[in-house]
Amino acid sequence: MNDHGEIAWCPGCGNFAIRDALEGALAELAIPPREIVLTSGIGQAAKMPQYLAGNYFNGLHGRALPVAVGVKLARPELTVIVVSGDGCNYGEGGNHFLHSLRRNLDLTVLTCNNQVYGLTKGQSSPTTDLGRMNMFDPRGNENEPLNPLALAIVLGAPFVARGFAGEKEHLKGLLKEAIQFRGTAVVDILQPCVSFNKVNTYAYYRKRVYRLDVPGKDRREALEIAEIQGDRIPVGVFLKDESRSPRETAGRLFRKSVTPGDMENLLQKWHGAA
Amino acid sequence: MECTILIGGQAGQGLASIERELAALLFRLGYFFFATKFYMSRIRGGHNDHLFRIAERPVHALSGESWDVLVSLDEETQRRCKADLSARGLCLSPAEIAEIEKRAKDGFSNVVMSNPLLVGVLLRIIGVRSDALEAAAREEDQPAALLAGMALAEEWDMADRFVLQPRAESPYTFDGNSAIGFGSLLGGCQFMAAYPMTPATSLMLYVAKAALELPVHFEQAEDEIAAINMALGASYAGLRSMVATSGGGFALMTEAVSLAGMTETPIVIVIAQRPGPSTGLPTRTEQGDLNVVLSAGHGEFPRLVYAPGSLQEAVDLAKRSFEMADRYQIPVFILTDQYLADSIQLLEGSPELSVALRQYEIFDASYRRYALTPDGLSPLTYPGLGEALVRVDSDEHTEAGKITEDLDLRVRMVDKRLRKASRMDKDAVLPTLYGDRDADICLISWGSNREIVEEAADRLTSEGHPVAALHFSQVYPLVPAMLEGVSLAGKRLIAIENNATGQFAGLLKRELSLEINDMILKYNGLCFSVRELCDEVAARFFVPGGVK
Repeated sequence: MNDHGEIAWCPGCGNFAIRDALEGALAELAIPPREIVLTSGIGQAAKMPQYLAGNYFNGLHGRALPVAVGVKLARPELTVIVVSGDGCNYGEGGNHFLHSLRRNLDLTVLTCNNQVYGLTKGQSSPTTDLGRMNMFDPRGNENEPLNPLALAIVLGAPFVARGFAGEKEHLKGLLKEAIQFRGTAVVDILQPCVSFNKVNTYAYYRKRVYRLDVPGKDRREALEIAEIQGDRIPVGVFLKDESRSPRETAGRLFRKSVTPGDMENLLQKWHGAA
Repeated sequence: MECTILIGGQAGQGLASIERELAALLFRLGYFFFATKFYMSRIRGGHNDHLFRIAERPVHALSGESWDVLVSLDEETQRRCKADLSARGLCLSPAEIAEIEKRAKDGFSNVVMSNPLLVGVLLRIIGVRSDALEAAAREEDQPAALLAGMALAEEWDMADRFVLQPRAESPYTFDGNSAIGFGSLLGGCQFMAAYPMTPATSLMLYVAKAALELPVHFEQAEDEIAAINMALGASYAGLRSMVATSGGGFALMTEAVSLAGMTETPIVIVIAQRPGPSTGLPTRTEQGDLNVVLSAGHGEFPRLVYAPGSLQEAVDLAKRSFEMADRYQIPVFILTDQYLADSIQLLEGSPELSVALRQYEIFDASYRRYALTPDGLSPLTYPGLGEALVRVDSDEHTEAGKITEDLDLRVRMVDKRLRKASRMDKDAVLPTLYGDRDADICLISWGSNREIVEEAADRLTSEGHPVAALHFSQVYPLVPAMLEGVSLAGKRLIAIENNATGQFAGLLKRELSLEINDMILKYNGLCFSVRELCDEVAARFFVPGGVK
């Protein structure tokens, strides 16, 4: 890990394990770094591409998804992975989350979900539990938390899973499966924040997390799994619908240019008198 | 000899089809013409005007003279425009329109045939004969209905009332947005993401249609923020990319303009202006967004802004935008407006059809996306080529593209990005001087006003009020070379702009210390006409026998 220079995460941050799992998954899948594009937004999780081998576009807060959509449409042959936090993917980028899933491109969308805004030092995120005290919620969070996986299932994402940073090997397996899946694969990763979330800790999750043996057999069953909350938290693949093909892209565009002959045809057909 | 036609009515009455059919036939019959429209933000109802100017020489503006033919599809057109009819003008009132509809139903069992019937009447008024029409009309033009319309003009004694000779040999016709679209494809554009917004939507449609048969991708985005981020993603991945929008949509894009500046990702951004602030007048024209484009995006980074003033400039500058965006790794803007976007014109001459190609340099693992170089330009490559990893970051970054808070490096990176601008002087598109160079008065235009101002300069000069005209199609950066060879000393400089504050006049003063003496500004949502501009210039700046 040291070859990536100084790492900007707090000691004990859940992101370390997620990074290791993703690095391991990419290595085991033997995808050459030059064929990987990681896109991220802003936040501590969004720094993840800095500490991995691959190309990356570390863009604006909330905009990791549209950048990934642009990359994938331009270069379908590349492995494109979005990795950012819950504030970025579900909050600032909420509209892109909705509409990118509808596109069903062959993308992997990873969200390191620590249920808090860490880099801005402790405000509620879209996934913060009701009643949680945070910097801007001295009386406790009054907004219902977003259920990102239920949302992804409803939006038609064909691969939906949850991982836990405290179970690195299991997470690595999930990430491999998500990256290999043909279509949009959504993985929400429970990530303890050791600095600003004193409730959803490693110990909190270890007590509650259990592994799913098999995915839900359809969207309805997957949705039921996604609705399980509180004392029991399922991790694993909630939905894996291989019957749907990812959206077709335009095919090869890169290094395949429009020709003067094409332009002559277009000129005559659309602008000429012939 | 000219013939001006106003066709007015409600949205949903077939005006757009009539305009399209009349323009297509005038073009194929070989007439010089110019067509534009004033329309409301409605799907049905409201009131729209479609304006044609048909001539025996090239015309690229509204003359502003009274109408020779008034076609009133509704009573309101009749009421509003009757007074502007020329002395020997013809009027097709709602009664005649009703008769045309009746003939369509009786003769063709289809009220939609009213459109070609009306077009037939209008063509016969300017002297078109049935043999010429039959040679020019295609099956989809409904030649039988066109001929019935011509017969009707004869029945109504309207035939040959404004006889014009077809003298145009221009082989191509465009509206302003399709000229930008065509130029963009010549520039090697292969990706566009867009969210619809008037008056930029027709440019999106152009690229979307081209994408059906060319190696080009068009993606409808969920919003303008997504559109520009998708385009930046595609550009980073290796395709020349563009977005188009209008003021409000552009406001949403501005954070990503800054992202393009920081990541040095090439992109072309077309802004088709309409009157603001906010939603303003959604379907009208204005040049009110120059200042916002100059300052859009937080932080300091170089940019280039073009504002085409003719079809040829629209094609050439759109193509050039992609070259410059790649050469300097910057956002390049094309400022157009509803007036140019929606005006149908003939292109004088043939466009050069060479397609600009991107360079695909291959690097080894030592590649650094932001390598510090004397000219500030770091080698540009794309993911998956060779062993190079392409790492770009919106944070301040190292040469390798990693986040840094090394403040000395920060200064070097700012200097590197800004150094690129100093090289842009040599690629500046110089302004064009037109008309009487010795005149004491010079009209200054930018963007879509060019051809209105140049025709006004001709007319003023011929009427004994000599003026010159200076047009800028590159509006930023403004460089001293632009004024070399253009002797403005001692001239009274008058800025002509479609806005309320003279934004370009202010920019000339700020950037080139050029003092503009007077301004003629129009901001009611409509373009200038040649007559209107001439009258204003003559009244304000001339007295009998000379300059005021």
